[in-house]
Amino acid sequence: MRQFWIQFSGNLLNGMILGSVYGLMTMGLSLIFSVLKIVNVGHGAFMMIGAYVAFWMFHLLGLPPILSIFIALAVGMTLGYCFFQLVIRRLTAAAELTTLLATFAIGILLEESARFLWGPDYRGFSWNVGRIMLPPIAIIPLGKIYALISSIIVAVSLYIWFKKGRSGSAIRAVMEDREGATVCGINVDGIYALSFSVGIGLTVASGNLLTLFVPVGINPYMGGVYTLKAFVIAVLGGLSSPWGAFFAGFLFGLIENGSYTLFGLVPGIEPFSMTQFFAFFLLLMILLWKPTGLLGAK
Amino acid sequence: MNRLEKFYPLFPVYFLYGALFLFGQYTKGMWQAVALAAFYAALGQAFNVFLGMTGYVDFGYVAFMALGAYGMALTVSGLYAVTWLGGGMILVGLLAAAVFSGCLSVAVGAIALRLRGAYFAIATVGVNEGFRFLLEGIKLWGGSEGIVISSKLREAFGTDGASAISTFWADVFVFLIAAFAAFLTLQYMRSRIGYALAALRADEDAAQVIGVNTTKYKIIAFITSSALGGLIGATAWTLKLTYVFPAEAFAIHYTVEAIVIVILGGAGTLMGPVAGGILYAALKYGLGVTFPGLQLLILAPVIIAIIVVVPEGVIGVLKAKVRGTALEKFIV
Repeated sequence: MRQFWIQFSGNLLNGMILGSVYGLMTMGLSLIFSVLKIVNVGHGAFMMIGAYVAFWMFHLLGLPPILSIFIALAVGMTLGYCFFQLVIRRLTAAAELTTLLATFAIGILLEESARFLWGPDYRGFSWNVGRIMLPPIAIIPLGKIYALISSIIVAVSLYIWFKKGRSGSAIRAVMEDREGATVCGINVDGIYALSFSVGIGLTVASGNLLTLFVPVGINPYMGGVYTLKAFVIAVLGGLSSPWGAFFAGFLFGLIENGSYTLFGLVPGIEPFSMTQFFAFFLLLMILLWKPTGLLGAK
Repeated sequence: MNRLEKFYPLFPVYFLYGALFLFGQYTKGMWQAVALAAFYAALGQAFNVFLGMTGYVDFGYVAFMALGAYGMALTVSGLYAVTWLGGGMILVGLLAAAVFSGCLSVAVGAIALRLRGAYFAIATVGVNEGFRFLLEGIKLWGGSEGIVISSKLREAFGTDGASAISTFWADVFVFLIAAFAAFLTLQYMRSRIGYALAALRADEDAAQVIGVNTTKYKIIAFITSSALGGLIGATAWTLKLTYVFPAEAFAIHYTVEAIVIVILGGAGTLMGPVAGGILYAALKYGLGVTFPGLQLLILAPVIIAIIVVVPEGVIGVLKAKVRGTALEKFIV
């Protein structure tokens, strides 16, 4: 029994640390949805780009992810801006059908380009900076702690920008009321472009940090799983609230790791699949009974 | 409008299916490509009943095809030893496929159809993935190893019979399902269901206010579309490939392909899915032959360009062109 509790709390701790990256990745999705009302189905592909940024920066320049995150952010914002101008700008008033398909196609384009440029193989790198011993509960590599701290810093600076910055406030105004914001003289198109590129920037940055958790899992098709996880987390946090999403990320990390340990106790089932099943079950239940999210404000 | 005139729009649709079938039969080595085109056309036609008519995006549509595939696989593995059934076993399997996916669609419809727009799309993705992981998690129906029926088909129909089923009859069934789906689509369009759905698609709240029971018609379209999807899964996957694996049967990219086909042809049109399916198959097959391994890299920007430039699809454009001419009655 004692063994179980040790393992359980160790898993929860790891889940919470991973949850910070989950939160960051979902903030991007949530920001784009709350401003543009577009679900970015190509979300995971952008994270994959971030993972490759981390890989190449480490491989070529020796930059660890906590430094290459700035490059990832810049790459993401550029990509986001380009895709907004080329595609999304023309679809802001279109039906879900077209935006879902368009973002999915962008995802495929990114995945296939990555495969074309860098091949289909799994890649990875290891950044050895020591570890923290917490016997008997867990041994946590310092890299993961840095990832936790970085994502909190990014989230907090975004929060400050939203609350204090001029353009941040404009984004909040558009989130609340598109037409009202237009009447107040806010350049809604400009805000769309800004939110889309910041959203993609956050997504790519989170993919960058993710490499600290999946040391050898970098490949062109790694993103699909994270798209689906981000959906669940976004719904958990209320879909159109980036802050809800960040905290829901932690919650999801806890739920994921906790239920994995618990399902492992039941004989005759696959704990990995059941954990995923439970996540989607949760998604449906929340959509049904509390569509504003567990952490939604309203 | 006389009795026959009502069916004019089916002529060009059936003409395309007939031409496709004959082309496959009389051109050497093209049957597989034609079967692919028929699969895509049928998929589009079945999906269009819900997506095209209601405007709701079911992002988990492939779950219904998967359940149909399981319905057929379970029937064959359960009944292959019952000799007096003969070919009737396939019919039982088709029925099971329709019932399986129909039941799931009732359950999903009751829950998810209360949601709209993006929320509906996300909920249906959740159903698709959740169901797949449940199958794998509790190891139901073979779990992640799926069901393989090739030996059972051989036992029931002999080696030649089994190979005829998977190389020819499965594809014929797909053609028939596509034709049936087109017929149903036209019936729906010309009835109260179609008018109600058209109102719903334009403005759901307004439709409710004027007394249209939107929930009822949405569910009718949803169940029809799902059951047709189940039949496609049962024939184009289980009978043709002789196996069902959850990782393949629940793959989200089939849903996306279905959306591409419907948009390419024109959402909510009768002829759109046929045209879209054939175009998409030709594009994919052609790119696969000329640029092996790069087809998706080329296809993705093409899809994006189509959405941006002609969101109403091929038939949508054609419909606008023939408005007011004698052809108007044929292109719907």
